[in-house]
Amino acid sequence: MEKPWPKTNSDVCIRCAACTAVCPVSRVSPKFPGPKQAGPGAERFRTPGEPSVDQWIDLCIGCHLCDMACASGVNISELNLIAKAKYTDEKGRPFRDWLLTHTYLFSPLGSLFSPIANLLLKSGTIRWLADSLLKIDRRRKLPRYESPTFRQWFKAHHFNSHKKMAYFYGCYTNTNEVDVAKATVEVLEANGFEVTLPSQRCCGIPMLGNGDFKGARKLGLWNVPSLLNSVRSGLDIVFSSTSCGHMIKHEYSNLLNIPGSEEVAQHTFDIFEFLRNLKEGGNLNTDFRKSSLRAAYFAPCHLKSLGIGFPAFDILQLIPGFKVDYIAADCCGLGGTFGFKKEKYEISEEIGRDLAEAIDRLKPEIVLSDCEGCRMQIRHLTGLKVLHPIQILRDAMTR
Amino acid sequence: MDIKTEVLIVGGGATGAGICRDLALRGIPCVLIEKGDLASGASGRNHGLFHSGGRYAVADPEASRECITENGILRKIAPHCIEETDGFFVSLPEDGLAFRDKFLQACEKVGIQTTLLNRDEVLSLEPELNPNLLSAVKVPDGAIDPFTLVLENARDAELHGVKILLHSEVTSLILDGDRVKGAKTKDRIRGEEYTIEASYFVNATGAWANQILKLVGLRIGMALSKGSMLITNTRLNHGVINRCRPPSDADIVVPNDTVSILGTTSIRLEDVEHFEVTPDEVSLLVQEGSKMIPAIRETRFIRAYAGIRPLFLSEEKGDDRAISRGFVLIDHAKRDGLQNLITITGGKLVTYRLMAERTSDLICQKMGRNTACSTHSNPLPGASRPAGLRERFKQFSAARGEIVCDCELVPRKEVEELLGTEKLRDFQDILHRTRLAKGTCQGGFCVYRLLGVLHDSKMLQGDSNKILKGFLEERWKGIRPILWGAAVKEEELIEYIYKGIFNF
Ligand SMILES: Cc1cc2nc3c(=O)[nH]c(=O)nc-3n(C[C@H](O)[C@H](O)[C@H](O)COP(=O)(O)OP(=O)(O)OC[C@H]3O[C@@H](n4cnc5c(N)ncnc54)[C@H](O)[C@@H]3O)c2cc1C
Ligand code: SF4
Ligand code: SF4
Repeated sequence: MEKPWPKTNSDVCIRCAACTAVCPVSRVSPKFPGPKQAGPGAERFRTPGEPSVDQWIDLCIGCHLCDMACASGVNISELNLIAKAKYTDEKGRPFRDWLLTHTYLFSPLGSLFSPIANLLLKSGTIRWLADSLLKIDRRRKLPRYESPTFRQWFKAHHFNSHKKMAYFYGCYTNTNEVDVAKATVEVLEANGFEVTLPSQRCCGIPMLGNGDFKGARKLGLWNVPSLLNSVRSGLDIVFSSTSCGHMIKHEYSNLLNIPGSEEVAQHTFDIFEFLRNLKEGGNLNTDFRKSSLRAAYFAPCHLKSLGIGFPAFDILQLIPGFKVDYIAADCCGLGGTFGFKKEKYEISEEIGRDLAEAIDRLKPEIVLSDCEGCRMQIRHLTGLKVLHPIQILRDAMTR
Repeated sequence: MDIKTEVLIVGGGATGAGICRDLALRGIPCVLIEKGDLASGASGRNHGLFHSGGRYAVADPEASRECITENGILRKIAPHCIEETDGFFVSLPEDGLAFRDKFLQACEKVGIQTTLLNRDEVLSLEPELNPNLLSAVKVPDGAIDPFTLVLENARDAELHGVKILLHSEVTSLILDGDRVKGAKTKDRIRGEEYTIEASYFVNATGAWANQILKLVGLRIGMALSKGSMLITNTRLNHGVINRCRPPSDADIVVPNDTVSILGTTSIRLEDVEHFEVTPDEVSLLVQEGSKMIPAIRETRFIRAYAGIRPLFLSEEKGDDRAISRGFVLIDHAKRDGLQNLITITGGKLVTYRLMAERTSDLICQKMGRNTACSTHSNPLPGASRPAGLRERFKQFSAARGEIVCDCELVPRKEVEELLGTEKLRDFQDILHRTRLAKGTCQGGFCVYRLLGVLHDSKMLQGDSNKILKGFLEERWKGIRPILWGAAVKEEELIEYIYKGIFNF
């Protein structure tokens, strides 16, 4: 029989509970038994052929903090994800979850009709409808669409160089935070790289987070050959969204077994990791303008799980006069689509409270983070201006 | 406190508990005496295989027939003690198929239903099996929870007026001519001594049978054989896995709730109280077990334990497994002229009810009474209660209160209820009646929590350090043989915790 999921190893768990100590969800909600119980603990009770009973499994936000805390190397969040997939496969996913995980399909339309779309998204009636019909919490602001999209902008953009790069911008950046992608391109160009855009679709992490392995795998199977093409023609790939990066570098091979993904992963870098590598080789353009901004930087969970340290935080220090504090808090609590769901809104906000308080203590003018989810959540929690660090770097580059 | 009764049953294993329930249902007053807790002998230290009889079909059709009949009865009267998993007799390439064909014929003769499955069919049911296997025969084996079985028999007997004395030992028997008049007994916790007078005495002490008989100068031809088993951390198989070959060492893997149990070995020994699992046995179990389920080579084990089988020597043979696994019922009136003493020993857990029925029939015959047995149709008290892994997980998932044992999901509520309803006398009694301390950490984390619960409910008697120490010593005995890999790591952590508790 073909094994439907990769083999996982809960046997090495020594029951120390270090994982539960760091789990943001079990910190705020007694409904979730915590990674030790939900992962290796529950694994001893799950029977392959039998229907799932662990309805709390979809409270796991997928932050991977437990995996990082576990000294025994138990792949806890993976166990959770697999259990969640089984649970949601059986129970069926509400239309709401389909909507939240398939935004990549209708976002281009949203962009095209952005004036209307944004009015609708802002409208109280629509949000009330979304809340009561779809259980998308009305206290959440839905992200605005921008026009033109990044891809459209890029078409009209020209820069030639013999040094070439590929860029995985991610679907959200393309339609909702276009300037992040522009900034990425501009910074790379300032360093002499010509950017190319391999054809790409949503990386699939929203689906994976919702336990839809099949859907996520389909997208992965679409993206990997295209990315592999770039890699094999000698290009390195950068991403500006740490969640897309986490998906491409880890989950495509680890969980989804997508052929060629390991090779892609070896040549795929976080944009700041890439810049830091340039700096270490003495090749980074460090011609920065002086800045007097006071910022605070928040490291997303999916950056931590990449295991590359905090390259954005390192590089930002190079801007003269720019003051940036590191925000000592774990997990913003949004968890991708998690925080939009009515039944999880409170948990999401409660997790974020630590972060909001930590920001409040630092009193920054602006907050920076590499993940769109974290940025959304911080805007929501603090009302502050929140940017991707690449935007600050671009602004500091003398053009 | 001196006691007078009609029948005194010595030994609170499955057999003794079964007899006192049987007699009680027939309206015959009796008392059960057990030197430890219920099921502290072989009944609590066996493999937990709910035999279909397949294992004995070729070599011992009689014992096999008993098994399949009782198998059918127990499914009805004790469904909450049985997991109906089915079993597979797996032929590996080195076994060939000659035995399989004999096996199929023998099963048919005895009346055990079989289904022959090809390689792919069995692998789809049991994906962890050795993919090189030739075929497998499905039989109605299962897994049995011996603790619940014994406890429920005793509970029903008590409901019918039987007195059960635990932690009390028969130390001598008082003879009066050709009859036993009474038993001198000692309460092992309080040290009190007292006499129980009865008209009939049943020696249901299993492997200890000769020790009781020695008290009246008798002896039966019985050998003792140690069987060792290993418990895995996670359950590897859904059904029981047997090797399809003449019964041998380490050729069965029985699933049990959250775990799988590999067994057994078979080693002659003299001392029925002091024994442990040796490194050679561990290697043998892993080596042989992994031929059927390759994952056994890498899997984590959480405990090793052993039990003693009494083997009745009808005739001397070389291999202990060739000796009848059927039971022996001895009327010492016929054999030795001692009118009111009966010994029942040997057999299997699965045949406990039949053994109890035959013993009770003999007593009735001696008493000149004519009451029929009803245990074959009379379900045990808890028979409708939901059982099993999924049910526990479901309850945990639905309403999680405070959990005492994280590994086996034992809620504090369950422990408190138990403490409220039963008169428990020893710390281990609590562990016998819940799944506490049966999981990955083997009580490393939950037992000190349990002491807290006991303290809160003011039920902590005696020195808690001593209780903890006693528990840890027993635990160590079970853990030491399997200490490698992740188990060592966890043990270091637990040792550190206990050093803290004991202030070392
Ligand atoms: C290793 C092993 C594996 C087995 N596997 C299986 C299996 O998979 N399936 C199956 O069906 N059967 C199995 N069996 C057989 C089964 O366990 C026994 O047949 C059954 O438990 C016997 O029960 P019993 O009550 O006769 O004996 P026991 O359970 O041993 O009970 C005897 C009791 O007498 C008590 N006692 C002794 N002396 C005194 C005294 N002086 N005063 C008071 N009390 C006393 C002891 O404390 C003990 O509790 C296995 C046995 C062993 C050893
Ligand atoms: S992934 Fe995050 S939310 Fe999920 S169990 Fe681990 S720490 Fe908790
Ligand atoms: S999963 Fe890891 S961190 Fe969590 S209890 Fe087990 S060993 Fe400890």
